[in-house]
Amino acid sequence: MGLKEEVISAIAKTLDVGEDELIEDKTLYDSIGVDSTEMVELTVALGKQFAVKIETDEIGKSSTPLEIVGIIENKKQS
Amino acid sequence: MKESVAITGLGVVSPCGMKKETFWANLKQARSFVDEITRFDAKLYPSRIAGQVHELDYYTHLSSRLIKKIDVFSHMALVASEQALQDARIDHTQVDKNRVGVFMGNALGGWLFAETELRDMYLEGREGISPYMASAWFPAAPQGQVTIYYGFKGYSKTIVADKASSALALWYGAKVIAEGKNDYVLAGGMEAPITPYALLSASSCGQLSKNNLNPQKAYRPYDLNRDGFVLGEGAGIVTFEKEAHARNRSAPVYGYLRGIGVSCDGYHYARYRLDPESFQYAIEECINDAGWKKEDIDYICLDGDATTIGDSNETMALKNVFGKKIGGIALSAPKSMYGNLLGAQTSLDLISTLLSMEHETILPTINYEMADPYCDLDYTPNVSRSRKIKKALILARGRGGINVVLAIEKA
Repeated sequence: MGLKEEVISAIAKTLDVGEDELIEDKTLYDSIGVDSTEMVELTVALGKQFAVKIETDEIGKSSTPLEIVGIIENKKQS
Repeated sequence: MKESVAITGLGVVSPCGMKKETFWANLKQARSFVDEITRFDAKLYPSRIAGQVHELDYYTHLSSRLIKKIDVFSHMALVASEQALQDARIDHTQVDKNRVGVFMGNALGGWLFAETELRDMYLEGREGISPYMASAWFPAAPQGQVTIYYGFKGYSKTIVADKASSALALWYGAKVIAEGKNDYVLAGGMEAPITPYALLSASSCGQLSKNNLNPQKAYRPYDLNRDGFVLGEGAGIVTFEKEAHARNRSAPVYGYLRGIGVSCDGYHYARYRLDPESFQYAIEECINDAGWKKEDIDYICLDGDATTIGDSNETMALKNVFGKKIGGIALSAPKSMYGNLLGAQTSLDLISTLLSMEHETILPTINYEMADPYCDLDYTPNVSRSRKIKKALILARGRGGINVVLAIEKA
C-alpha cells in the first residue's frame, strides 16, 4: 500500500467513515461534513501514525485528502 | 399549572428492557434485574451489583461515528428520545424546531468517557486525551446532543439535583409548555453510574447495598433487613405538549403533570433529616399545587431508599400527611426491581406510573420479606395488584436534602 492509500485509509478509520465516502479532491467538509473537533482528532491521529508533527492549522475542514497526503509526504521527506 | 400539559410519548432505556412494552412486561413479572457488575472488574468495591443496560447497541439508531464522540448517558438519552418521539407520533422534520425544547436531568455526568480519557491523559500526556472529552462528560451533554441530533432550537435546560434531577427537569419542561414558550418538549433523565469512579463515589456515601452474594435480593426497600439501595443505569424521556395541541393532532395522551412540591432539608450534605417535616411539606405542597384533596390520590410511587433512616422517614412523612387515609392509597417502589437510576429515576417512575394507570395494575415492591416496625405500611409486597389509578404522586429525594413530589393524572 502506497502512502496515499495509507493516509486515506487512516482518515477513514479515524473519522469512522467509509473510504468510498472520501473524495480525493473534495474537501473533508464537503464530502463528509467533518467538524472542527474531528479535525483535532484527525491531526493527532495522523501525526502519531505517520510519525510526523502536524500543527492544527496545517490541515482543516477545507483540506482535501490529496492535500493531506501531500503535507504528510513533504514532512516525511524533510 | 396555567394550562393542561399532556404526556404524549414514552421512551425507555432500562436494565429491565428497552421501549415501554418490554419495560412494562418485565416489571409485571415482579423479579429483579439486578446482577453482578460485568462492565469492569468490580470485585474490590464494597458494592459490586447493579442494574445494567445490556442491549443499547442492539437498539441504537446512531452511527458509530457519533457514538464514539459521546458518553453512554448521552447515547441512552438519544435512544430514549427517539422512542418518545415515535411513540408520540411526532415527525421531527415537520415541526417548528424553534419551538421544540429539551429538558434533561442527571446527577453525575458522563463518567465512563471521562474516566477513560483522564487515564489516557496521565498515561500518554496531553495528546492522549480525546478532543471529544470536553463535550462528552458534562451533565448538559445529553441535552446538547439531542438538540443537535434533531436540530431543536427551543428553550432548553439541564437540571442537576442529585436523585431529584429528572423530577425537576420534568417539571420545568412541562412549565415551559404551559407558558406557551414551546410547542413540544422532550423531558426526562439519564444516568450511567456503572463506571469505576462513579461507583466509588456512590459507594462513599455509604448508602449502597453490600449484599453482593444475593444480587436479586439486595434492593429491599422497607424490609427489616435492608442495607441500602442498588445503582441502576438508563434513561427515561417523555414528550410534553398542551392538551389541546395533543387533541388537535389526535395524539395518544397517557396523562397530565398537574403539580409539584419542592422543599430542602437544610440539614446535611448526604443524610436525610431524622424528622420528616420538610419531606411532608413537599408532599402537602404538591397536593395543594395540583388542587387535589388527599382522598383523591390512588397511588404513590415511593422513593424507596432502602436505608434505615430513608425508609422510616418516608413512612413517617406519609402517615403524618395522610393519617388514616394512607391505608386506602396503593404504595410501591418498582425501582426495587432494576435499581435506582439516581438523577434519572423519577423519569422512569413517571413512565412506570403512567403504564400502571394504563394497565390498571400496581407494580410491587420486591424483596419485602420481614416487616420493620418503623415501616408498617402496605408497600404492595412482591406481587402486582389490579387497581384503577386516576391520580398519583411520585416521590423523589436527593442527597443533601432536596425533596420533590410530582402529581400525575391519568388521561
